[in-house]
Amino acid sequence: MTSQSYDKADAAAGVLFILIGLGFGVQSWWLDIGTALRMGPGYFPLVLSVILVLLGAAVVVNATKQPGEPIGSLAARGMIYILPAPIFFGLTVRGLGFVPSIFLTTFIACFASLKMKPLPALLLSVVVAVFSTLVFSYALGLPFRRFGPWLSF
Amino acid sequence: MELLSNLALGFSTAGSLENLFFCLIGVILGTLIGVLPGIGATATIAMLLPITFQLEPVSSLIMLAGIYYGAQYGGSTTAILINLPGESSSAVTAIDGYQMARKGKAGTALAIAALGSFFAGSVSTLLVAIFAIPLTVVALKFGAAEYFSLMVLGLVSSIALAHGSILKALAMVVTGLLLGLVGTDIYTGAPRFNLGIREYADGLNFVALAVGVFGIAEILRNLEGEVQREVIKTKVSSLLPSKEDFRAMIAPVLRGTAIGSALGILPGGGAILASFASYTVEKKMSKHPEEFGHGAIAGVAGPESANNAGAQTSFIPLLTLGIPANPVMALMVGAMIIQGIVPGPNVAAEQPALFWGIIASMWIGNLMLVILNLPLIGLWVKLLTVPYYVLFPIIMAMCSIGVYSVNSNVYDLYAVAFFGLLGYVLLKLRCEPAPLLLGFVLGPMLEENLRRAMILGRGDPTTFLTRPISLTLLILSLAVLVVVFLPQVRKKRDEVFTESD
Amino acid sequence: MAVSVKVGGFTVAAILAASGAFAQAYPERSITMVVPFAAGGPTDTVARLVAEKMSADLGQQIIVENVGGAGGTLGAGRVASAEADGYTVLLHHIGMATSATLYRSLAYDTLNAFEYVGLVTSVPMTIVARADFEPADFPAFIDYVKANADTVTMANAGIGAASHLCGMMFMSALDVPLVTVPYKGTGPAMTDLLGGQVDIMCDQTTNTTKQIQGGTIKGYAVTSPARLDIFPDMPTAIEGGLDGFEVSIWHGIYSPKGTPAEVNDRLSAALQKALADADIAARFAELGTAPSTAEEATPAALKATLETEIGRWKPVIEAAGVYAD
Repeated sequence: MTSQSYDKADAAAGVLFILIGLGFGVQSWWLDIGTALRMGPGYFPLVLSVILVLLGAAVVVNATKQPGEPIGSLAARGMIYILPAPIFFGLTVRGLGFVPSIFLTTFIACFASLKMKPLPALLLSVVVAVFSTLVFSYALGLPFRRFGPWLSF
Repeated sequence: MELLSNLALGFSTAGSLENLFFCLIGVILGTLIGVLPGIGATATIAMLLPITFQLEPVSSLIMLAGIYYGAQYGGSTTAILINLPGESSSAVTAIDGYQMARKGKAGTALAIAALGSFFAGSVSTLLVAIFAIPLTVVALKFGAAEYFSLMVLGLVSSIALAHGSILKALAMVVTGLLLGLVGTDIYTGAPRFNLGIREYADGLNFVALAVGVFGIAEILRNLEGEVQREVIKTKVSSLLPSKEDFRAMIAPVLRGTAIGSALGILPGGGAILASFASYTVEKKMSKHPEEFGHGAIAGVAGPESANNAGAQTSFIPLLTLGIPANPVMALMVGAMIIQGIVPGPNVAAEQPALFWGIIASMWIGNLMLVILNLPLIGLWVKLLTVPYYVLFPIIMAMCSIGVYSVNSNVYDLYAVAFFGLLGYVLLKLRCEPAPLLLGFVLGPMLEENLRRAMILGRGDPTTFLTRPISLTLLILSLAVLVVVFLPQVRKKRDEVFTESD
Repeated sequence: MAVSVKVGGFTVAAILAASGAFAQAYPERSITMVVPFAAGGPTDTVARLVAEKMSADLGQQIIVENVGGAGGTLGAGRVASAEADGYTVLLHHIGMATSATLYRSLAYDTLNAFEYVGLVTSVPMTIVARADFEPADFPAFIDYVKANADTVTMANAGIGAASHLCGMMFMSALDVPLVTVPYKGTGPAMTDLLGGQVDIMCDQTTNTTKQIQGGTIKGYAVTSPARLDIFPDMPTAIEGGLDGFEVSIWHGIYSPKGTPAEVNDRLSAALQKALADADIAARFAELGTAPSTAEEATPAALKATLETEIGRWKPVIEAAGVYAD
């Protein structure tokens, strides 16, 4: 792949830092800043935010001076299936209960890979669900409800 | 020789068949749970605490201590194999350990970690026995100003963790510091940066952040080009380090042990800095600093030793003052109280068998761990031959359970997803996650001690310079800055010259 | 998921309808006791000791679940919205009363979201100082603090912590503002007191007893109505002239609103039996406290205590002007 006239990755990173700094900075501004003796909750984060914005700007400036490598491909399929897995677990662990929730969480995550076919995915999810129920719920005695209220008939 | 008779008492207590058994149970449990990704020592002990209530006080504490350093070992294993540190200390191990694993040297990395930890554990146990009581006096000299200066030293050192741009590493540290401030301001009770979500009132969960920026980001990276995935080669020629490897690890292990033992004594935060500090020192001392971040042996040996030494010496403030140095120790205090022992300055005098028994059991536990772990290395490495598309759903399941088990807080799981995305984006932008993690751990402490020092010093900023320990630490920070930046500047100049040629 | 939710609604209705018959068999499975603080802390310790003994009487395991965060309000909120079937209960301390004022927007209504089981224990507090603090006794201590109000520093373990509450009470009793230094928990606060970095603190006997006995800190007064057996020479704050200065960290067990009275009574009976156990008394004594009496371990006594304490702390907290949200 060809190199670019400026480092896009670094430039993007710098912009990201500036945005994060601004995000925290604005919120700090709304908090009580206080004095040096009695610093308020906003004092320290405001100072840090300013530093972060400056650092981000410096990163951007540096990026324009040197060529960089391209960012490369993104794991789109991975993001679609991996990131929701823990969210799904969080949404259902109390309602559905531990066993069905962890089974479905694993099942969802399986689809992130093209190599995983539905049947092995099902099998793997069952194995994971059984194993983690035995280890965490029975052996370690974690206070999880195995089957939640949504499932009680 | 009071020490000898004390140690004899300790070994006779810890060496009883019953206590040996519980020590073994502890280290096995610790190792097993430590290798489950996303579950660190804190979660493990919190989960297992109730089990120990039925035991004798000595046995239960020996078992808990076993779980603690067993989980440290186990946590390093996942850090090396799948880039998933369970505790802040093994975040450093992940940097070079995982790179070694990618080069097919997972067995070597694991063996180095185990041997280095064992050596460090043995030495620091002896230090605990000799210096436990006098050293606490030193630890108490550390007030808010000293802690602040210590944190500054730690942060300044952390930029050496970076093997890319120092500017980006600094920005990552600051981002981490800011993320660490999410939650409630302890001075006023004002909620900060929690987007109105009460579940984040106590801050973001460390495990959630670590799992996200390290683990999930790494999984996503591996899913990118599924076809040409090169990660772990199945041909693992030798599990044990070669003679050369041994020679390369001796000095880092010695230095790591010294750094870890010293920092571990400080209640609150000292031990966290140990592995970071050791990494910095190794990178500076190395003749090949460019190897760091690409699988340097010293980058595993030093921090792992420091981490384990710090884990041992952090028992000093616990045993002599009743002050927990970290969340795990806080759980141990709880266990002691439930057992009817109120930890404090009198424990050593009132319960000598317990006090020295725990110390002796630490060494025994470390010995058991190394015996247990060396043969297991083969097994762990085999685990890597499992196809990745089978491995990562399992990792996702374990991480979800692990994160949830810490506090039964579902918002921690949402944080995992968020930090997974952030971590992946940062990875794509070639920013390294380790400095971010250090900033995250130190952020709240840095602010807390800065503000406390200002209150205690009546708003006079010279308080940091008039207190000798604080001043020394700040001078050291300055020295580190100079050492880090000078070569950088010189290199820049060289680059400029070559370009103009 | 819509189907599941509907099923859930049906279940709740079924349980409510069947609750009369249901209570006779109670408890038929394990009970979850939510502790709104981290495992290993003093409240957790109390909960685990009591839970173990109550389990024996109930014939079912009580599982302690730690739901920490936001000064105990997250765990309390969890129980407030749990099913009112007696299988989820809450063990909380004085924070139940103070959070009603400290938090201006709670997720639950403290007085109307719970049923009551009973009081468990009241841990007294001690007013302590670093080992080399000058005053020789409590009257001298009060004079010294008043005279040096602008230099004496007072540690506490964070907003809403026992030491913070007691500190506010102390300052309002003396009518002097002191420089307060908050810490994250009792551990670091005690470290700085031991190291002489701060001057004074007011904290539970659980944390201070061993240090006072070891001579590493100085004990000046206790905040209980009468002197304590473990410190017969230490005066009460009231003896020292601080009228009505009485602070204790009381613990109570609650269940969600709508839990059948039979269930609460059954739990209450189990609690009373547990507290009468000699083993519990011995363990509590090591913590510098004593189990509540059979009269205190009742729904009525806990309800009364909660109501009184909310009223007592409201003006103190409002006068100090501190809020946790």
